[in-house]
Amino acid sequence: MIKKTIYALCFSTISLMALETGDSIPQNIQAQLNLDSNKTYVIDFFASWCKSCKKELPLISKVHTEQTVEVIGVNVDKKKEDGEAFVQKLNVPFRVIYDTNKEFIGAFDPIGFPALYYIRDGKIVKTIMGAVDNIDEQIAKDIKEIK
Amino acid sequence: MMRLILLSLSGLLLMGCSSKEVKPWEKENLAQDIMQYGGLHPEVKKFEAHVYFSKEASRGGSGVGGGGCGCN
Repeated sequence: MIKKTIYALCFSTISLMALETGDSIPQNIQAQLNLDSNKTYVIDFFASWCKSCKKELPLISKVHTEQTVEVIGVNVDKKKEDGEAFVQKLNVPFRVIYDTNKEFIGAFDPIGFPALYYIRDGKIVKTIMGAVDNIDEQIAKDIKEIK
Repeated sequence: MMRLILLSLSGLLLMGCSSKEVKPWEKENLAQDIMQYGGLHPEVKKFEAHVYFSKEASRGGSGVGGGGCGCN
């Protein structure tokens, strides 16, 4: 009985671990995000209440994406309407997923916010936690390095 | 009977404990302006700082930047 409890605790801790650089994205998340193995993805988690996101999103929107690079936004507002209004207000040009049930952010479990992940071949190749000045320049530089 | 009461009391006490951390993306309420030091009225903060400066002949060291959303 004690052994079983210890095993259960160990496995529950493992499942709660955050995704980090080098980790593979779970298959169900990959499928839902509709990730292509030939592309590099920049996944940005944001919310309407996050002041840094308000600063960063217009810069991320300026990022020049090619056929092999795609930016995906994941809005984590509790209410989808708040997220939609925020996206509309900032005129976000890329694909946005509304994660109201916290499925995606729960799987990635970032240690900061806003959180940005670079994904290639279903694996996280780099992360940026928290706000960064001139994020557009940083993304352009990182994409060059990843390619 | 005594054991049952003790168990219930310990259970009640444990209900007050929680190890659940607030994740960075769950800080919506903390990020609100009203959660800032001085609340919604920055003039209150200014007035308090003025009184502090008059009484102590020193200033600064009150609060940190940011809205508490975990953004750096």
